[in-house]
Amino acid sequence: MNNSMQSGGFSDRRDNYARLASWLQQIMKQPPTTIKPTSTGENDILLELLLDSDYHLHFYQQLPDFIVALLNNDAQATLRYAPLLYHLAGCSECHASYLDLYDAMRAAIYPQGPRPQLGQGTRTLAATPQRMLGHLCQSLISQAEALFRQGRHDHVDNDTAARSLLQLALSISARIGQSMIRRQALHDLVRVANLFEGPDSSQEDDPRVYAYTPVMTGSGGTRSGKKALRRVDAPLRSPGAPLEEPTILIQSQMLEGNITQDGQTLILHLQELDEELRGRYVTITVPLGALLEPIRWRGGNPRAIRSTMPVDAQGVLITPLGETELRLSDNEEHNLLEATFMLLEVRVAD
Amino acid sequence: MPFTAYDLRYHAEQSYPLLYAYLHRQAQRFLGALKYDAFEVDTVIGHVVEQLVRLGLFGGDDKVPLTALDSLTDAQFYAFLSRSVRNKAIDRLRKRRLQVSTVAELEVPDNAEIEEDPLNEAVAAAWGPAPFATPEEITLYIASQRELLDLLKHCIMALGSAPRQLNAVMQELEDIGADELLDKVMQDLKEKTSSPSPAPAMQHMSQHKDHAHKKLRHCLQQNSTNLAVRVALRLTEYTTLTMKGSAVNIQALTQEDLSENDMREGLKALASEGLLNWSGEDDIRVTADQVKRLTRYYKDE
Repeated sequence: MNNSMQSGGFSDRRDNYARLASWLQQIMKQPPTTIKPTSTGENDILLELLLDSDYHLHFYQQLPDFIVALLNNDAQATLRYAPLLYHLAGCSECHASYLDLYDAMRAAIYPQGPRPQLGQGTRTLAATPQRMLGHLCQSLISQAEALFRQGRHDHVDNDTAARSLLQLALSISARIGQSMIRRQALHDLVRVANLFEGPDSSQEDDPRVYAYTPVMTGSGGTRSGKKALRRVDAPLRSPGAPLEEPTILIQSQMLEGNITQDGQTLILHLQELDEELRGRYVTITVPLGALLEPIRWRGGNPRAIRSTMPVDAQGVLITPLGETELRLSDNEEHNLLEATFMLLEVRVAD
Repeated sequence: MPFTAYDLRYHAEQSYPLLYAYLHRQAQRFLGALKYDAFEVDTVIGHVVEQLVRLGLFGGDDKVPLTALDSLTDAQFYAFLSRSVRNKAIDRLRKRRLQVSTVAELEVPDNAEIEEDPLNEAVAAAWGPAPFATPEEITLYIASQRELLDLLKHCIMALGSAPRQLNAVMQELEDIGADELLDKVMQDLKEKTSSPSPAPAMQHMSQHKDHAHKKLRHCLQQNSTNLAVRVALRLTEYTTLTMKGSAVNIQALTQEDLSENDMREGLKALASEGLLNWSGEDDIRVTADQVKRLTRYYKDE
């Protein structure tokens, strides 16, 4: 075979590859996952998340191992990670993340220049900007949702991992003193926690169910279309300062109520309940109740707490919810309990 | 005490302030003229923190599998964090430079800032580009690799249950001149069916094509597909070396890159496609016919 024929054959082969490659790219092209627009920061309390919970978690989490295999010149790397490689050919978001991570991991494994200093010093969550704590909570909640959805898709149980992230978010949110940031940070918490309970878990839209949400001290804003009124007379709290009133204010449209503490017992006070509830026992649901282990819920199930007495003739209900060592008089523990009561539903007991 | 990747995984809440403080210093270092812009600094930090959460490291505990990040030394992990911050900082600087409109805004406060400008540094990449820097590069690589194309062939063959979709793809391969792949598929199809049915009339071609593409995309990203092909390759290689028709122990096929679980998953996939008679035994019996079929199916002649 002469040289021109050889180069012609090589060129043909390369053309074949190029045509096949182009066709493959067309096949693998994925619709883009939701990427939120980059924020300008002017009107934001919290930073936007870069990825939504529908990002490709399964592939994304394989990237570090794949990259290290490439950096180690592992001859089997592309075959071992073939599904990921095919995915990267069509998913621009994951491909961008691959490039980002590749560069950082290469710098880690093959350093050039002086090593960066290790992190030193002591800091506390209280000294960390509230906005960043809020962003962390949002990241954790979104990741919990992603894990949950991936688990359902793959028929594997990711619930424990996802729940653990929600608990972490709940715990970190307690360190956020500014109620508006805390509310935004936990915006999706109830919705994501309800995913674990199945599609019919939330009864917020049922007209027979009274859905109470906390009136976070010093805050304004809406949730699920319900206006949460700002208590203008409420003092702004800062971490470490004691509360004047150890109570959690809740409201459902025009109805108000609160949760107080007597010793270790959390007590629910509701008033002006509808006539259809008067003289009847009610069932109380605290959807986030299962996330907070230090509360021993009455009856054992925070989704079905039966009132100890019926609603009285004036529409008032006072009933214990459970017991806890957490104290409403402590700011952080108050925040934690308030977040737990992000939603409280009341309906007639069966 | 410096925090470690282990701390972020198992003591996330306690380690976060330290992580934040470290990322903050790095972000200010790399953000140049924007280092006093609190929003920009937090945006860079937020990006890296979110990345660690998404990768399953931050707060992953023992509930999310370990990755290569967990195996980095402390110095390597800090280098990883520092580089991630640097990359995001450069990204933000570029975005902000695109937004500035006046000469005054373009001016940098002092000469030192110019010398330290990360954008200047970013121009020269010390290591050269990453492999698979573009999607085109990836597909070109796939098209030139026999084993990766075997996956594609496997997935095209799996379209056999929907002949119109299979035909639509064959037509496409013919149109783009992918003769080699087309020949292999044709050969295997002949092998699989003794009397090939005539090609059905191709109405609604684009619809069949769309469905076929969707199925191919799904199939190519399945781990089970990859394992089936790799196990078939291993099986044919092994049985070529040993006597055909004899039993092969699963342990003999298991090697560094294919665990026993991988092997079993791959065997299960092959059995479900009728290429093997296997229902979980440790010994895999492969007949000469099956070896022939596997060889034809997954290997170059």
